[in-house]
Amino acid sequence: MPKMALQFGATAENLPIIRHFVRTHLSKVVSNSLELNQITVAIEELCANSILHGNKEDAQKELRLELSVQGGEVHAYLYDPAPPYDIHSYPQEPRLLRAGTTRPGGFGIYLLRRFIDEIRVRRRKGGSSLYHLVKRLSSASEGC
Amino acid sequence: MQIEVQPVSAAGQVQVSLDGELDALTAPKLYERLTQLVQQTPNLKKIILSCQRLTYLSSAGAGILLMCVDNFSPKGIMLELTQVQPEVYNILDLLGLTKLIPINHA
Repeated sequence: MPKMALQFGATAENLPIIRHFVRTHLSKVVSNSLELNQITVAIEELCANSILHGNKEDAQKELRLELSVQGGEVHAYLYDPAPPYDIHSYPQEPRLLRAGTTRPGGFGIYLLRRFIDEIRVRRRKGGSSLYHLVKRLSSASEGC
Repeated sequence: MQIEVQPVSAAGQVQVSLDGELDALTAPKLYERLTQLVQQTPNLKKIILSCQRLTYLSSAGAGILLMCVDNFSPKGIMLELTQVQPEVYNILDLLGLTKLIPINHA
């Protein structure tokens, strides 16, 4: 699959477009619907964090998502104008808070780490970030 | 996402059908609609979310479902999910929500 790219503004209105982009391109190589959904969720969670938290929903801020598949691995790159955050510093388990004490937390990061095999975060020149996700496809999807 | 609310039964049950995708964009709308329903229905006992046409759930959607449980349970209102698609169930299960909310598979 050739590298595909999507450029989008930092607004939650773009989340359905991001999902459509991921599904459209990966459905050609990921035949397992559960696995395709997990990859879609992981990529959307990463983008949603950047949109909502990193860029505070400033639609003028532009992000770029690139997708490629090489040797049975899906590679997703997110170029984000906001500074990077340390995904690995978050708790391993989601916070299921009860009795309305406060909002539940950590769901998105948990799903991202659960569904993705490698997450690399790099600070780029000028303070922006590059997130690189690697997902090794199951044998059911490989070679599709 | 489309949210369709059926009339409340004499037993205080209401079925709410969800059609579409539950994400950071649509989850607040669902929470607002259900909260409104709870406020306007004094004898409400159970909300049954029919999820046959719910095709996607993100962490934001799961978080809103948990908030509904946390906020409605003290009022004696139970939340139940029916006809949940495998992709959506997978997310609910991994987040531990299947232990907190009665859920039936599609």
